[in-house]
Amino acid sequence: MTPRALTALLIALILVTGSLPVAAQGPIRIGASLSLTGTYAQPGRYQHEGYQLCQKDLNAKGGVLNRPVEFVVYDDQSNPATGVRLYEKLITEDKVDGVMGPYSSAISEAVANVTEKYHKVNVSPLAATTSIFRKGRKYMFMVISPAEVYLEGLIDIAAKRGLKTVAIINEDTLFPKTSAQGTAELAKKAGLQVVFTEAYPKGNQDFSALLTKLKAANADVLAAATYFDDAVAIARQMKELSVNPKMFGVTVGGDIPKFQELLKATADYIYGSSQWEASLPYPGAREFHDAYVKQFSQEPSYHSAAGYAGCMLYAEGVKKAGSLDADKVREALLALKTRTMFGDYQVDKDGFQVAHKMVLLQWQDGKRVVVWPDDLANAKPRFPTPPWNAR
Amino acid sequence: MAVALTPAMLGQVVVSGLLAGALYAMVALGLALIFGVMRVINIAHGPMLMLGAYTTWLLFDRFGMNPYLTLPVSAAAMFVLGALLQRTLVFRVVDAPELSSLLLTFGVSIALVNVAQLLFTSDLRSVEFLTGSIALGPIAISKSRAIACAFAAAITGLAFLFLQHTKLGKAIRATSQSREVALVCGIDVQRIHLIAFGLASALAACGGTLVAVMVAIQPEMGQIWTFKSFLVIVLGGAGNYPGALLGGLLLGLVEQLASLFLTTQLSEAVAYVLLVLALLVRPSGLLGGRQT
Repeated sequence: MTPRALTALLIALILVTGSLPVAAQGPIRIGASLSLTGTYAQPGRYQHEGYQLCQKDLNAKGGVLNRPVEFVVYDDQSNPATGVRLYEKLITEDKVDGVMGPYSSAISEAVANVTEKYHKVNVSPLAATTSIFRKGRKYMFMVISPAEVYLEGLIDIAAKRGLKTVAIINEDTLFPKTSAQGTAELAKKAGLQVVFTEAYPKGNQDFSALLTKLKAANADVLAAATYFDDAVAIARQMKELSVNPKMFGVTVGGDIPKFQELLKATADYIYGSSQWEASLPYPGAREFHDAYVKQFSQEPSYHSAAGYAGCMLYAEGVKKAGSLDADKVREALLALKTRTMFGDYQVDKDGFQVAHKMVLLQWQDGKRVVVWPDDLANAKPRFPTPPWNAR
Repeated sequence: MAVALTPAMLGQVVVSGLLAGALYAMVALGLALIFGVMRVINIAHGPMLMLGAYTTWLLFDRFGMNPYLTLPVSAAAMFVLGALLQRTLVFRVVDAPELSSLLLTFGVSIALVNVAQLLFTSDLRSVEFLTGSIALGPIAISKSRAIACAFAAAITGLAFLFLQHTKLGKAIRATSQSREVALVCGIDVQRIHLIAFGLASALAACGGTLVAVMVAIQPEMGQIWTFKSFLVIVLGGAGNYPGALLGGLLLGLVEQLASLFLTTQLSEAVAYVLLVLALLVRPSGLLGGRQT
């Protein structure tokens, strides 16, 4: 056959079969709003990168239901009201085929009303607050461990080492508030006395008066239910005001590599909780880490990993259901029990996560190591934290 | 859950408040200057501070410069940018109704924040230079905040000397009191507007440089400074330059004391209640408006 005849044959084939098989019905478009700017930009952007890598990996394996996957992402500026508007737009104007969750509990809680209204399965990989999943919603799915247990490791170590008192502070939004309440419960159960609690507004940058009070309360442990920006500011100002608890742990922030890049030596001895670490023995965790570093030239945080895992779980649900139909995907995700690169996944009838486990980290000489629970730890905690002027 | 109050805590909080207040005063003086001379509330004042902070970060991060030595660079850069903004945009709204100048500078502010987002991304940046504190009995004085306060006091002092005693400073005050009379006396009002806007932006940039060493830098860090500066000049009397100093210190103290006696959450509310009270009881500010 001449080259021209070959070309003609190819064109004829494409005309007869419609088009190339993968593009049969165009891509599956998945909509999401993420906090790409604003107070939650740091974790929000990690989550975005998790989604991007998931899209790439799914498409490299032929897509889902023989269709490529394409994310449609908007910036909600860390603002729940903007998130609500964007999910309305994604579903009604952009007519996306599916959605994935935004970053943070506050925004997930707000947009859950929209995704429920339009019967969209909403795998929300970074929504950690229990109440979101206990309101009789049908299509919400949780990936990470709940807010209440973020600082379980901190309290456990404190109790075992004989510490007596704990101070708890939190940003006054959904996740940190829930997390602070959960920590207080855990502390009481472990026999620790809560001697100081206070909330501060989102976006607060000046903690001097709060920390002055906290210093006077003289608690052994400071548990801070934070996001990222506030965790950085609190650590810096603790050093400025010589606030010296024997242990200081934060919920979100301490796990992010940038925490140490920003704070340098100030980060040492600080405990952070994490939903995931590349060093944990989960199938594919190492491979995910390497691919991520190659793609984005930075270390992934647990937000990246949760975003990736959530997207993969949604894809798994669609594959198992054999369609994008919300009720079929819902059934598949409710029945699914699996161990991914992110750890265990299993939900109860509300879509509430019951299998995933958290770890506690500590920054030691500029590196973060897992110090709790014992069976996953790769180092001993450096205890107690020395005062700032003795480092 | 609260703790018992001790004199040491009160002392600590008063010190923190005054340290913050000096910085507020310097930055707000810039806003007062623009309002005094042009009757324009510059919403982009905070974003100018943010750009000053990024200038310091860039020089520190890329060239390892001592952040305090970057002060003249960031001040000069923002002076030029401020003058440029005045010459191309702001001069158009000087005599227009106040809403137009608000809208214009609001637009400029959004543009500056987005440019910073494009240039620097929304990742947090920090200048880890002087951390820790000096202990003064039971009171800890943050090194970076103490230095910031000293610089702010010195710069504000210089600015006052300049306004009081130099010919240009007198021309600025004259324009601020009455543009028509200044014009009649042979003052080049256009040039004064340009210089005043440049100076004000330089003051914001100095604030940015000093703040950069204290808190994390990100594109949206500036807005809160616009609001705080606005609060300060309303408290002190819009267009009244010594009033800005008083207002700044007052705001610093009130914020800290409110966080101590109430909660951190309520301290913001207290600051705004103060604003409403000031507008109700003394709308011309503590020292009266427009005296210079």
